[in-house]
Amino acid sequence: MAQVKLTNVKKIYQGNVVAVHDFNLDIQDKEFIVFVGPSGCGKSTTLRMVAGLEEISEGTVEIDGEVVNDLQPKDRHISMVFQNYALYPHLTVFENMAFPLRLLRPKMSNKEIYDRVTSAAEVLGITEYLTRKPKALSGGQRQRVAIGRAMVKDCKVFLMDEPLSNLDAKLRNQMRAEIILLRKRINTTFIYVTHDQTEAMTLGDRIVIMKDGYIMQVGTPTEVFDEPANLFVAQFIGAPMMNTVKCQLIKEGKKYFVNPYGVKLEVDGEKAQILADNGVETRDIILGFRPEHVDIVKENGIPVSVLVNEMMGSEIHLHVLTSDNAKLIVRVPTVRLTKEEREGLTAGKELQISFPGKVMHFFDPETEKSLLVKE
Amino acid sequence: MKKYSSLEYLRLTKIQRFFYKIACFFVGIPQFFKKIGLAIVKFAKKFGIGVKDEFKDLVMTFVNGDYKTRISYAIMGFGSFTRKQYGRGILFFLFEAIFIVYMALAGGYWISMLPSLGKIGPHQEYDPIWDVWVPAYGDNSFKILLYSVLTIFFIVAFIYTWRLNIKQNRISEEIIGSMPKRCLEKEKKQKIVELKKNNPDLSTEELSQKTKEIEDEYNQKIEEVPSKPLKSTKDDVMSLIDNEFHKTLLALPVTGILIFTVMPIIFMILVAFTNYSGQANGYTNHLFHWVGMDNFNTVLVWSNSGGASFSATFGEVLAWTLMWAFFATFSNYFLGMIVAMIINKKGIKLKKWWRTVLVLTIAIPQFISLLYVNKMFSYTGVINGVITNLGGTPVHFMDDYAEPWVSRLTVILVNIWIGIPYLMLIATGILMNIPADLYESAQIDGANVFQQYMKITLPYMLFVTGPYLLTSFTGNMNNFNVIFLLTGGAPTMINTPPNAASVGSTDLLITWLFKITTTAGSKYYLASVIGILVFLVVAIISIIVYNIIPSNKNEEDFQ
Amino acid sequence: MAEELLNTNTPEVVEHKKDKRHMGLTASRTISNTVIYFILVIMTVVWLVPFIFLVLQSFRVESTGMVGYIIPEQWGFNNYVNLFTNTKFPKWFMNTFIIALATAALQTIIVLCMSYTLSRLRFGGRKFLMNFMLVLGMFPGMLTMIILYRVLADLHMTQQNSIPGLILVYAASSGMGYYVSKGFFDTLPKSLDEAARVDGANRAQVLLKVILPLSKPIVIYTLLTAFMGPWGDFAFASYIAFNNSNGMNVAVGLNSLISTPASIGKNYTMFCAGGVVVAIPITVLFLFLQKYYVEGVTGGAVKG
Repeated sequence: MAQVKLTNVKKIYQGNVVAVHDFNLDIQDKEFIVFVGPSGCGKSTTLRMVAGLEEISEGTVEIDGEVVNDLQPKDRHISMVFQNYALYPHLTVFENMAFPLRLLRPKMSNKEIYDRVTSAAEVLGITEYLTRKPKALSGGQRQRVAIGRAMVKDCKVFLMDEPLSNLDAKLRNQMRAEIILLRKRINTTFIYVTHDQTEAMTLGDRIVIMKDGYIMQVGTPTEVFDEPANLFVAQFIGAPMMNTVKCQLIKEGKKYFVNPYGVKLEVDGEKAQILADNGVETRDIILGFRPEHVDIVKENGIPVSVLVNEMMGSEIHLHVLTSDNAKLIVRVPTVRLTKEEREGLTAGKELQISFPGKVMHFFDPETEKSLLVKE
Repeated sequence: MKKYSSLEYLRLTKIQRFFYKIACFFVGIPQFFKKIGLAIVKFAKKFGIGVKDEFKDLVMTFVNGDYKTRISYAIMGFGSFTRKQYGRGILFFLFEAIFIVYMALAGGYWISMLPSLGKIGPHQEYDPIWDVWVPAYGDNSFKILLYSVLTIFFIVAFIYTWRLNIKQNRISEEIIGSMPKRCLEKEKKQKIVELKKNNPDLSTEELSQKTKEIEDEYNQKIEEVPSKPLKSTKDDVMSLIDNEFHKTLLALPVTGILIFTVMPIIFMILVAFTNYSGQANGYTNHLFHWVGMDNFNTVLVWSNSGGASFSATFGEVLAWTLMWAFFATFSNYFLGMIVAMIINKKGIKLKKWWRTVLVLTIAIPQFISLLYVNKMFSYTGVINGVITNLGGTPVHFMDDYAEPWVSRLTVILVNIWIGIPYLMLIATGILMNIPADLYESAQIDGANVFQQYMKITLPYMLFVTGPYLLTSFTGNMNNFNVIFLLTGGAPTMINTPPNAASVGSTDLLITWLFKITTTAGSKYYLASVIGILVFLVVAIISIIVYNIIPSNKNEEDFQ
Repeated sequence: MAEELLNTNTPEVVEHKKDKRHMGLTASRTISNTVIYFILVIMTVVWLVPFIFLVLQSFRVESTGMVGYIIPEQWGFNNYVNLFTNTKFPKWFMNTFIIALATAALQTIIVLCMSYTLSRLRFGGRKFLMNFMLVLGMFPGMLTMIILYRVLADLHMTQQNSIPGLILVYAASSGMGYYVSKGFFDTLPKSLDEAARVDGANRAQVLLKVILPLSKPIVIYTLLTAFMGPWGDFAFASYIAFNNSNGMNVAVGLNSLISTPASIGKNYTMFCAGGVVVAIPITVLFLFLQKYYVEGVTGGAVKG
């Protein structure tokens, strides 16, 4: 249980490859923080610097108010779950989980070790495997053992490095739910690294979105979804990806309009207010809107033709082509459609689409920053 | 020459590609040397800068250090000791004490004798009691050279430790903050002096005002300098099993290598520039001396005086050594691969048995099989027994009456017999790692067995075993056991100079070197020269091959 | 070894070539397999016959020199009895055995220290150390013998006292042969070390509690090769023993039995008997540990 504070943390590899640029973050006590980003964005490196597995090139990492830059991992009071589980193949599940406890000084009594391991095993439902070697376990069971090994010890920070990425999709959903439960039980500070935005959204109190070693945005799941600070965050969070169209933002009096493919749509009042506060004039922008916010309309919409129809069950993902051959995605809930309508959405079908003004996002074409960020 | 882009290259026919590659190789040679040259220059520059930085640091540490640090320049460990790092302090001090005592008692003497390698040779001394002349030992050139090398080692180690001791002082002062504070104080004073100098027209009031500003600013900074406790001796010991664990682990291996490999090699390199031999060992016989490049001239420079020249013999032995290394390596490599493949072939039963038969021969100590095979092939041996029984005439396979090429061929053949089991093992392991789907897809594409071999198996093997082939080549160049136990070098070469120690047609440089040192006269200096030349040949081949082979990959890739 | 893997991976005769189409699957395979069996049988003979000869000769009683026939006319243990009573063979055998044991222990420790450090720990000068050893390895080891002999002689570790001398010579520089076991350590996942360190282990505990228990194959391989080395070494052993029959190892000793034409006539069968006595324990040991040896050799070649 502790605060973690990263100040101007930098990681420079040999040959001046900068993996992490000026990383600043205050993690509150008992907060669940998720680092998310595409591979190579520096999220794992940052986590490993907190763990002490990578040297910190510049800046400081503080755990519980103490600068830990020069401390060995063993002296940092952390626990960690690795992507490939890193179970010790020569030890039984019990000994794997007891390993951190046996290294404690002063020594922990055998009875206490037994109690802790068995109660952790019970929580994770792996009691019956305690005498087995990791080799004899399935991926999901190994994952539980790895988590168990990390949770038996009292730690200040609980680190997880892509713990679910080696599991199949179904198991991953199950484990994700269990991690949420686990978190309530362990009640400590969590740092969780993943490349999967769904995991990030469902698990994190706050999400740190990274790209090429830079923090793109820090915020709660709702914030990063509703108010992405830049085009990258907007497209990274949410599936399918946010649609973008290059067009103009037009200011007429107090009102703002956009004109994608010549269709003039009004910007919602609240957003217009922010644009006005930011002093935005008529200009070129990249307009963003999420597939789930798109409606198929009878008239006054953007004309498109269907390219591919992906039937997902509860919804249909329509890949559509605009007049200038740009691709957009439209999510259509099947609930609202009749059978004929559903079957009519075949390739080549001409449609018109539109979206309400309150879901629009506006990005500067050069800096890719959102024009909605309050200044 | 026109350089093709990779797409243009794809348009060439096979023959064009072949010639293009050859042309590229030759065009690349000057480039290659340029690269090496540049690397050397770069290294020299880096080295120069490094040395400069070291000296700068030495001076700056003295200027900015406190009295503890300054005294440490003369009395090592003083600073550490007075800062309560007793362990370090005592070790530094002990090292210095031992060094000084050693240099005073022995080291100085050895170094002073190094230029001459001894002045008094073995001589007769008059014994007044018995009224006779008795032989007396003179200076021992061997010991002088040996202990000089050791002393130089020691001096280098001392300089390094001394430097380390000063660095320690600087780091300690930085940790406790005393040095940065002192630097800031100095800067402050300098600033004030400059202020006075640059603004002579300021009034005293203004001046004291500004002075105070500067003082406050710097005092503030000095306040803020962090001060942390130093590591205790216990911390030092603990770090030896944690973040300094490599020092603990490497201590024994590296010491062993320094004493048993580095020191002897340096010594032998020096011997190549003396006339050290069994007849001039400096103790019971004559002293030996520095002779400059004479020995290299003997071995390398062509001389026609008196028929047989040493350099001609050297050339012949070198040529055979390279030939042998080539044939021994590649015959084993390809035959071993083929054996592995036929044993692995689907449908062949008793795989384990065939393999065990071959592996068994690895287990039997080589000297037994080699000496036994040597006797089998001798003039009165079993093979010739069989030949006579079949009505043939006995052959001199590898004794002194053998034809050189018969002997050489026999050695290579016997070496195949010895080497195939190893290569079979290696090839089996690697063949197992070739993904099966490669062959399946090749079969679907219509490749026959031979094409599969040429397009999949061989390239894969060569890629993976590239470095192994290189080490195996250089290993064969120095394959003492096979040659020495099998033929002992026989047949003896005719027309060799007397100092060539009856070198034989199958002698490699390494066995020749052994012969030179063990036969009468023991021309150690010639052996050293040959050893150095072997090193040069191996090094040159290695550099070239490393730049050619594709599997020269990043070692971190494996992790 | 995984036989199934081997089978699937090896190139197989492709049955769809035109001329073979009519022969049928079994026929063509039978022919090619017959040829292969023939080759394998010949190979077995070529590889085993010298050793069978060796054993047969060692039991020959009627003459002790070299003869042009193979099957002894009179069988008996005379050569073995002679070997153990009339020569210093028991001494040589014990010398070699002690040297081999000590070398195996020392060399394994040294090699493991070196290879683990280079594989797992990152420290200043690591690359330099590796390059330095690479360059050192290019010097012929024989060169160092001249001086090592003189130094060891000064320390009274040569001739009849050759045991400690040879142990030192074999083990001291063995750190340079770290390649195979570094290759092995490189294949152990690095995250194991990291997990252990996060779990509270220091570097030494990582080595002792996590890495070493997983290193059985490479430890056995190193022990085995280090143990076998001294049995076959000739050059260094003859240099250090320097013609003193009390300080010889089996290789030098047995060679001394047949080093001159005159002695061959007298001692040849005894040499054969000696060869058998030395070969049997080593071979048995080797066959038991073959698996580890094969793993090590293959891994070593791949890692270069």
